[in-house]
Amino acid sequence: MAGGLAYFIPAAQLAIEATGKVIQVTPSPSALFSPSPTPTPTSVPITGAFTVLLLGSDDDSKFNADHVLSQSMILVRVVPSTKEVTMLSIPRDLYVHLSTGGYGKIDGAYSYGGPGAAIATVEQDFNVHIDDYIWVGLLGLIKLIDALGGVDVVTSNPVFDDYYPADVIDPWPYDYQRVAVLAGPQHLDGLQAMQYVRSRHGDLQSDLGRSQRQQQVLIAIRQKAKQLSPEDLPRISQAIGGELKTSIGISKVAQMLPLAASFDNPDAIRQIILASPYTHGGAPGGSLYANWNAILPLVQQYFP
Amino acid sequence: MIQRVVLALFLAVVMLFCGVSTYLYLGTKQSKIAAPPQKPTVSTPRPQAFVLPGTLYLTQSGAIYSLSSGRFHQLTAEAGWSEPALAPNGQYMLAIKNGGYWSDVFALDLFGNIANQLTSNRSATGMTDPSLDHWSFYPRVTSDGTLWMTYDGLKCDGCYDVQLAIWSMPYGAPIRQARAWTDGGYYSGGDVQPIPVGGGVIYTKYSYGPDGKLVGQLWYTGRAGSYGRALTDPGEDCRTPSLAPNGTEFAMICTYEKQISYLTVASWDGSNLGPRTNILTTQMVAQPTWAPDMSGIAYLAPGSPDGPFQLWWLPKAAYEPPPPSPLPSPTPGGPHNGPLPSPSPPPPVPPVKPIQVTTNNGFDATSPMTWRS
Repeated sequence: MAGGLAYFIPAAQLAIEATGKVIQVTPSPSALFSPSPTPTPTSVPITGAFTVLLLGSDDDSKFNADHVLSQSMILVRVVPSTKEVTMLSIPRDLYVHLSTGGYGKIDGAYSYGGPGAAIATVEQDFNVHIDDYIWVGLLGLIKLIDALGGVDVVTSNPVFDDYYPADVIDPWPYDYQRVAVLAGPQHLDGLQAMQYVRSRHGDLQSDLGRSQRQQQVLIAIRQKAKQLSPEDLPRISQAIGGELKTSIGISKVAQMLPLAASFDNPDAIRQIILASPYTHGGAPGGSLYANWNAILPLVQQYFP
Repeated sequence: MIQRVVLALFLAVVMLFCGVSTYLYLGTKQSKIAAPPQKPTVSTPRPQAFVLPGTLYLTQSGAIYSLSSGRFHQLTAEAGWSEPALAPNGQYMLAIKNGGYWSDVFALDLFGNIANQLTSNRSATGMTDPSLDHWSFYPRVTSDGTLWMTYDGLKCDGCYDVQLAIWSMPYGAPIRQARAWTDGGYYSGGDVQPIPVGGGVIYTKYSYGPDGKLVGQLWYTGRAGSYGRALTDPGEDCRTPSLAPNGTEFAMICTYEKQISYLTVASWDGSNLGPRTNILTTQMVAQPTWAPDMSGIAYLAPGSPDGPFQLWWLPKAAYEPPPPSPLPSPTPGGPHNGPLPSPSPPPPVPPVKPIQVTTNNGFDATSPMTWRS
């Protein structure tokens, strides 16, 4: 008993520190977002559809730890009954009405008001209900993938970047480095996967191009995670400690594990990128205007 | 009193033992997904090692290995080496050495010793502006002494694009004698993996398909600077061409814009590719390489689901089944009374499956392999 408790201490610590985060939603919590109901301790399989907002941030020393941008925002809707998964990447440069007031790039919402503001902004602009969020930091993704032993990805094209941020390997976070990720099927470690999903200078579609790559790596992580056993949780927890936050309670995580394992066809995952005609350039500060007339019906269809 | 103390001590020892045992036991129940790959030379010779013909050269963790008679030999240190490519005479090989911000083409002897450095892509300015460095990849040399490679020599001012294009130059000549055969596209990933054929070159061109996604296509260009023509459709998303030793077939990878990777073959008449045939659709296949005697195709693919890439072998019988043996004809002789006996059908031929040659390695799936007879 004592040995078992000691073994799972790191996982329990992460569960306490990172999961079940209470969200302070701005500006009107009751209208915009209702925190998840307190999960029951039993591990009842999830049957109803739910939507999660995935947030990824550069949280290196360039940024104040409490005011990072959410450079990756992906809405994920899971329908357990039909085993449907839909991923919609929201361009970080989308020019929107922020829940905290005023207009700006959507990646600033997290910086101004944390996950609550990010969720409220997405909910009010996309007219969608979000049940939970998961935030992961820059090093968190690297450590998670390394803790999984790497992921297999068919990288769709060579990703070369002469101005890739050297913030992970360099003590001076404003330096650049060259990165070269060759194309084709390969086994990526955490650092290589991060380079693949983060680089945007060599892609005509810039942030939209890397959104596609982010979705590829997310699917690969999900595939690899299916092989985890409960005994792996302490090691994974130690690896990503401090780089992960979520509103999902630990008991709900337990309910999700068998659900994740039951989705065995990655090609059945619907991937949506808001490229043209859903967005177009010309907005202030190099941001993107949204074509809401096209976006909202799409969101209504896949995130009812 | 003493008995109670002894009992307490006993229980404490039991608790400690059980606690530690439980802790250690749970540790052993972890999955093996994060176990690091073994070096190919570990436990050589491998028991029941599958023996491939000739010598195969491949890469793991920045070192080049040879596989001959079922044994792996490490030819170079783990120092950024990859993409070995034998010279046509089989007496030496080209390889890439990656310096982190640049990469160079070297000529190595068959034991991995450096014979020549053929490019010098590190900028003289050092690390002040990394974009002044250059990349070379996928080197090939033809019997006429021409070095082919992917090279990012077309730099445009103010651009972020790293224009990987197909270049050729006389073997051993300075880089200023190199000329670009292609332009590398525009923010598309570029042109890579040159395979010299006849007077031209086949390569993988990355460009934006009709649906706006970046896709790979096999492409042919007959002369430097010409636009060339596509050999495969954008929707097939094919790459990694590998020419058979007899020059009449190509193996390649086609991914159909998904996270799949089919091993595909097509005939080659010197000008056009024939219909594509997917001969492996159940694995994430990389780097198909024809055996010198055409007895099969070696490739890399995960040995376990989503694991590191291992060496696999697909015998020729798997994709070119032997022709059916002729049906037995009636015995000639005198007049036959009654109906002819119907010939019994040939026994069903069991399907030939790929053979997994290694189990615990982690070969570089982006590095082509090369094979010497």
